[in-house]
Amino acid sequence: MRPAQAIHNWQLDQKADLGLSAPKPRYVPAFRTLVGYMKPHAWRLCAVVGCAVASVMSDLLQPYLVKVAIDDNLMAGRNDWRALIAIGGAYFLLSVAGLAFTYLQGNLLQAIGQSVVAKIRTQLFDHILKQSMRYFDRMSRGGLITHISSDTEAISQFFNQVLLSLIRDGFTVVLILAMMFRLDATLALYSLLLLPAVSAVAAAFRSRMRKTYQLARTRLSRMVAFVAENLSGMSIVQAFHQQKEQQKRLEELNEEYFRANLREIGTNVAFGRTFELLSNLFIAFITWAGGRAVVGHSLEFGVLYAFIAYIRQFFQPVSTITQQWNTLQAATVAVTRIWDVLSQKPDITDRATRGSEGAPDEGRTWPAEGGGSSAAGAGLGRFSPERVKGGIVFDRISFSYDGVVPVIRDLDLEIAPGEMIGIVGSTGAGKSSLISLLCRFYDVDEGSIRIDGTDIRDIPQAVLHRLVGLVQQEPFLYSGSLIDNVRLFDESVPREDVIRACELVGADMIAKKMRNGYDARLSGRGSGLSAGERQLIAFARIAVFRPKVLILDEASANLDSHTEQLLQHALDVVSRGRTTIVIAHRLSTVRQADRIIVMSRGRIAEQGTHEQLLSRRGMYWELYRLSVGQKAGLTNIPESGEQP
Amino acid sequence: MERATLLKDFFRKAWPAYLAAFGFHFAANLIHVCYPQILGRITDRLQAGALTAGLLAREALVLLAVGAGHVVIGAAGMLLIMYTGRTFEKQVRNRLFWHFSRLGERFHAKNGVGRLLNYFMNDVTAVRESIAMGFNAATNAVMLLAASVTMMVLAGIPPGLVAASVLPLLAIPLFVVRFGPRIRDRSLDVQRALGEMTETAEEQFGGIRVTKSFAVEPIMNARFGKTVERIRESQLRLVRLSAFFQAVVPFLGAASLAVAIVLGGRMAVAGRITLGHFVSLTLYVRMLMHPLQQIGNVVNAIQRSRASLERLNGLLSERPEIADIGRPGDVSFGQAALEVRNLTFRYGPGERPVLRNVSFRVEPGATLGITGRTGSGKTTLAKLILRLIDPPPGTIRIGDADIRELSLESLRTQIGYVPQDGFLFSTTIRENIAFHKRDEELAAVERAARQACIYDSIVRMEHRFDTRLGERGLTLSGGQRQRVSLARGLFKNAPIMILDDSTSAVDAATEQAVIESLRRERKNRTTLIISHRISAIKHADEIIVLDDGEIVQRGTHEALIARPGLYRTFHSIQEEGSRFATGTGDS
Repeated sequence: MRPAQAIHNWQLDQKADLGLSAPKPRYVPAFRTLVGYMKPHAWRLCAVVGCAVASVMSDLLQPYLVKVAIDDNLMAGRNDWRALIAIGGAYFLLSVAGLAFTYLQGNLLQAIGQSVVAKIRTQLFDHILKQSMRYFDRMSRGGLITHISSDTEAISQFFNQVLLSLIRDGFTVVLILAMMFRLDATLALYSLLLLPAVSAVAAAFRSRMRKTYQLARTRLSRMVAFVAENLSGMSIVQAFHQQKEQQKRLEELNEEYFRANLREIGTNVAFGRTFELLSNLFIAFITWAGGRAVVGHSLEFGVLYAFIAYIRQFFQPVSTITQQWNTLQAATVAVTRIWDVLSQKPDITDRATRGSEGAPDEGRTWPAEGGGSSAAGAGLGRFSPERVKGGIVFDRISFSYDGVVPVIRDLDLEIAPGEMIGIVGSTGAGKSSLISLLCRFYDVDEGSIRIDGTDIRDIPQAVLHRLVGLVQQEPFLYSGSLIDNVRLFDESVPREDVIRACELVGADMIAKKMRNGYDARLSGRGSGLSAGERQLIAFARIAVFRPKVLILDEASANLDSHTEQLLQHALDVVSRGRTTIVIAHRLSTVRQADRIIVMSRGRIAEQGTHEQLLSRRGMYWELYRLSVGQKAGLTNIPESGEQP
Repeated sequence: MERATLLKDFFRKAWPAYLAAFGFHFAANLIHVCYPQILGRITDRLQAGALTAGLLAREALVLLAVGAGHVVIGAAGMLLIMYTGRTFEKQVRNRLFWHFSRLGERFHAKNGVGRLLNYFMNDVTAVRESIAMGFNAATNAVMLLAASVTMMVLAGIPPGLVAASVLPLLAIPLFVVRFGPRIRDRSLDVQRALGEMTETAEEQFGGIRVTKSFAVEPIMNARFGKTVERIRESQLRLVRLSAFFQAVVPFLGAASLAVAIVLGGRMAVAGRITLGHFVSLTLYVRMLMHPLQQIGNVVNAIQRSRASLERLNGLLSERPEIADIGRPGDVSFGQAALEVRNLTFRYGPGERPVLRNVSFRVEPGATLGITGRTGSGKTTLAKLILRLIDPPPGTIRIGDADIRELSLESLRTQIGYVPQDGFLFSTTIRENIAFHKRDEELAAVERAARQACIYDSIVRMEHRFDTRLGERGLTLSGGQRQRVSLARGLFKNAPIMILDDSTSAVDAATEQAVIESLRRERKNRTTLIISHRISAIKHADEIIVLDDGEIVQRGTHEALIARPGLYRTFHSIQEEGSRFATGTGDS
């Protein structure tokens, strides 16, 4: 659970209206980045270009062949049937070559693009996982997922569409111009005039198209968010009989989206048609200008024919290229966004490796860290599970989430190895924050936290996290089998170990309940497990991974008494031989603790055993009285028979 | 059951637009096909040496007029259809949403948000694409083909030559039929792989604390990497097919041209057709290539949308299982008792009953406490009373009426409900609390917030009651969420109120305050409190204990605590810790 002090982030609030489309596309850096990714594929890219040139040439030689047929045969009145067949045959062969090269080019380019995109995806994911919890608090989960899926997909489309078009259509334009100059320089110069005209039209439409496109996108995502939310809260809508009201809102959003769409369509059609108009205008012009030259015998008719064909072929690629604008822009925005993410240094990192002492072979329990933090493999020796005792010192620590409101102030706490500490306190007292700090989800602002005398900031995170195990209030389940949920997909942990761990903590009852036993598929939502049962699974994780320090955020919600007993048992078993810190909501847990810490406003207000604290009649006594209730509780409190 | 017929309904209304668009396309294409004709004419005159500068200029102007007319009229037809298509999309989405909001729990549980959203977004878009873009492209292509062939024949090009030249082009649709569905399958694979990756990422970010706290990042990276690899493979599989498909279409066009060159050239050489005919023939063939390529896209779009349309029609045919029956009555709940009689309920035929023979009666103004283990049927009972799930006839009555005979409106507006999960919408706190009646003045919202003991927390926020919640707004803690949800229920000020474990995430001190406040506010008004916590229900006039769907105990707190049983077990576990539990009951 997130600490009660949710981070009030104005920036995110501001962004809400723009969706995620905040950054300005930075073309040059984005391009440079992509080039970097394509470098390993340089040879294949050359092959793509080669194929593209070949296929474009075979395409462009076709009108030329017709020109030859017209000028050399038909117009010349030569009745050479064989020459015609040769031209037709050549034409056919060219088209076969075009087919082959187009096919090759598409496949090669896609192979490159997909490798690059796959690489970016894994890199991005890896990078996000390395971020600290503060990052996850700040970023919306939806935003992160957008980066992983749609932003990378936009890059994929860059390869599928933009790059493909740039190569293919770019060469087509260049080669057409070359052919034109070969045929007739004057007409070719006229045609060259087209380029600025075409660019001007494209530029005039560009910004408007971008705006309309983004408006439509934003409105769409707003509608989607609304629908998704209402679908998940449908029972509330129905229970409050608010269907009509919600329908009205949807129709408003839908109408807004509709209007944005019309605007976008209008702009796009106007653009396309202006382009086509320009093309027709130019053909008429060339017909006129070229026709005059033919009449004046300064031009062969076949050349005019070829020109008209080329101009038609000329406009299509130019128009396709400009159609790539939106995609290119989306991809650039995506690259920019992804790079914003990738350039975000994790605010919690491992300190530079001190002369690594060559980690002893720890076997299965401590798998060498692969793509994770670089220092992970090193420095494990001192922190191997056999050697760590689990003494914890919080030394005058202070902490705040936002740099303004302190959540923990100047807190001192020493925990002996193997001790069991219960932390109580009202919401917002800083209990969750304290344990988050111990897990190093966040770094302390002042002071230090030490395990066995070593500052946790000097312990590689991968090692620290193996030392400190956490059972969350609402443990997270992955979609996967029960077995995998316990061993967290670590296949080096044998199935038998998992089953033994489950039996140890009593989680075997979940397997017994499920149709497929330990292979039953669970999922984050709707797996039909209660919070308590989820905690049992989390306890089993602890039993498998065997950290030296156990942190438990007790489930406060929705527990029936039977599950509660099971959890109590699990805690008994798992806390044995471990330093255990429990954010306690249950009296049973509190009483069992070696020491109880009462937190209030980021400080320790009281500490001691249950009896000591009760006799003090302070904050703990107050809390205790409230949770026990009046009548019944007191009759059963053994030694302290205080009447309120 | 009557099957929904989305398209039929749509065309019944939209046919004039389509007719008009058809007219536009027809006109545009008629003009368009003059193009090669004019160029052919110029060629012939040129060859005959009959072309003067003035004539040439006039022909060029005609050419320009033809080009402009075709572009403008064609655009009109296109825009009209696109507009109509978007209107269709909008209307269907409105209809779908309304449909979703009338369908019951069972439907929503079966489908899940993801799938319904997919219907709402992708399927509707797919259908729109084929009736808008598809119509435009297909009409253009077919008309252009027909008009071109007609023009060529009319101009005197021998039909045999025309047929031979156009024939290879007609193979394009055959290829489409062959490759279209296979390409679609493969692109669906890509989509599926993408979806899988997104889901994995979502899950990983949701479970980030687990991943971090067990230092299993490398494993999770590998797990994610597998889904990425799957996308790559499926993409490459797709491109193998689609690249071929895309290359084959221009190839067939070129094959047509080769035929035209050889056969047409031969005829021209033999003088059976003019050079102008030859020129316009090649131009026609070129002109037809692009629209015929488009036909490929259309066929794909239509194939995609066929399944989408099926799904949408199926979805819209789904009848809301909970609806007003006959002529529903309205009853005022103010002085009505709530009675449950011999209620046995199971979610599906053949399944184990969730509730068995449950009977109780809550007098007007009384408070009933309901407790029991997880899965004992408590929440189901609450949902049955609200008719979020339909109870068997005659089992739940309010006043004299079976709730099934009441209008949903009168039932649901008169019961205040605070659900277990404290679901809130991503809007302001004020709108969330005043969900029942959103134009109510702030004072009423504040009153409800005070009653739910959340007022102080809200006024401490920067925007107070206008604070936005949700993805891009503020995230409340579980306890705060529950109390806002409680305020939402209290705001309704309803004669009957059901609280389903609505203080479970609230700490002990706050819970006491909430319960006190509830007792004050709900005094003399019917209230059902469902809770695991004894402390939340012990003041109730009567308490029932559910176990495996059956009422196993009932009575007041004092009476229940005085005798052995489940209630006393709960009580002792909760209040004294497990070491003092009597250990009765469960195994």
